[in-house]
Amino acid sequence: MASCKATDAVYHVDPPPAAKKLRELFYCAHMIHSHIAHFYALAAPDFVLGPMSDPAQRNILGVVAKVGLQIGGEVIKHRAYAQSIQAAIGGKATHPVCGLPGGMSKAITEEERKDFEEKAKSLVEFARFSIKLFNDVVLSNKEYLDLITGDVYTMKSYYLGLVDTNNKVNFYDGVLRLVDQDGKEVAKFKAAEYLDYIAEHVEPWSYMKFPFLKKVGWKGFTEGKDSGVYRVSPLARLNVADGMATPLAQAEYEKLYKTFGVKPVHATLAFHWARLVELLYAAERLLELCRDKEITSPDVRTIPTTTPDEGVGVVEAPRGTLIHHYKTDDKGIVQKVNLIVATAHNYPAMNMSIKKAAQGLIKKGQVVSEGLLNMVEMAFRAYDPCMACATHTLPGQMPLEVIIYNSQGETTKRLSRFVRT
Amino acid sequence: MQTLVLGLGNPILRDDGIGPRIARELEGNLIENVTVMEASLAGLNLLDLLVGYDRVIIVDAIKTSKGKPGRIYRLGIDDFGFTRHATSTHDVNLATALELGKKLGLALPRKINILAIEVAETDHFGEELTPEVAEAIPLCVEMIVDDLKTGNIA
Repeated sequence: MASCKATDAVYHVDPPPAAKKLRELFYCAHMIHSHIAHFYALAAPDFVLGPMSDPAQRNILGVVAKVGLQIGGEVIKHRAYAQSIQAAIGGKATHPVCGLPGGMSKAITEEERKDFEEKAKSLVEFARFSIKLFNDVVLSNKEYLDLITGDVYTMKSYYLGLVDTNNKVNFYDGVLRLVDQDGKEVAKFKAAEYLDYIAEHVEPWSYMKFPFLKKVGWKGFTEGKDSGVYRVSPLARLNVADGMATPLAQAEYEKLYKTFGVKPVHATLAFHWARLVELLYAAERLLELCRDKEITSPDVRTIPTTTPDEGVGVVEAPRGTLIHHYKTDDKGIVQKVNLIVATAHNYPAMNMSIKKAAQGLIKKGQVVSEGLLNMVEMAFRAYDPCMACATHTLPGQMPLEVIIYNSQGETTKRLSRFVRT
Repeated sequence: MQTLVLGLGNPILRDDGIGPRIARELEGNLIENVTVMEASLAGLNLLDLLVGYDRVIIVDAIKTSKGKPGRIYRLGIDDFGFTRHATSTHDVNLATALELGKKLGLALPRKINILAIEVAETDHFGEELTPEVAEAIPLCVEMIVDDLKTGNIA
């Protein structure tokens, strides 16, 4: 979707309103499928089974065994609903082929709209159920609530995300809002201005880059206002916004901030909670768009007439802000590309979250159990990272090195998959 | 009896595109009640594709320790059931997805065969296969066509 918007910008073309609504409808379905898969398959095992539980059980099969086959069936059914809406609009659910500069490749029929509406109604109820499950299993358990709100999984950073004209969360369009560690707005900017605000640091040991706030500067892997480290994510989107644009999601948004008693929330494990608030918003917004009179309009394309050159597109992907920047020749053939994906924005913070969790959980002389290591992984898993999407270089070798020290701090072994230069 | 032949891989990541490439070759050898598809999917997304078929042959790239590029392995889902760990940071592995589907009563194939082709180059972008891997195409296509004709995959 970011590439659709980048190509709109490259061709200086504004899609008709029905095309924008159809893209947003498609995108809500995408957000729903991704958030359902992440919560139930990847996040829930840590909470439903417990972070220290046997890894053979700590997976989606274990979750289904515990919560029941009927709920498992509902998960698969609703995920498939979201996928089928995407497939109907995009040709296929994954790697869709519906986006064109200036709009969409085809409109939807009244029959399709009715089908989507029925599915959207069911998705709203399923999202409400998912939040209830999170309340019952996670928030009602004091141990889990302490874990989420505790210091080990807390990181104070800046936050970035798209907001609409009312400063409400929006996945498809709007302006980027940046807030500081106290929730104060420090910048609001358009996608095309991103290079004024974001720069990228490079480390020799990684195939990914480390984005940071240009005006604050790269001060290393440190927290606080003097460090340019910022985060994107479901929680970041909630933190930068003044609320949600749909009523049920707004009520859940208020509940989240009331529980913490502070905004922004810096608790990394609260990403999961924010993801469910967004699941509800995406379902409600999907239903609204299915009922929009314009949604079946055949007017879904503005044919470009200008010579293509350069453009930037931004959306909120499931894991956070996604920026696409293309420069083309006068035939529209891409000459230069820059992509900053959610996992890249979060990469500095991800490293810091893992380190903090490891330092907070593993104590001197303590046996490092599988469960403890899983609790370190939980700091990583909350970001729902896609390292493949965020890869900046494919050198043909993994630039990873493991150095093992003995108790005197002497190197005993060095394992690497690359040749040091 | 509906059969699906599914070529998996990324068609622009050199040898990783061997699955889709073989699927394209097979389209010229169509057999009744056999659907041929290409996909770049895994886990739960792959599960969606398998629902409703009686038999499935998956063709994919594989990289084993010291494997000879172009070699074809016949594998089954059980060969991948040794771990429940996610193979991706945001999806489950195929064995887990299938077991979940079975538990939930989805109409899944009763038999899934996997033909895996040992690959050499998957670290650079490009649509060309390396010669050793490309040489495996005719044999692999023949194996699939034979299996489909003789019903050897049941």
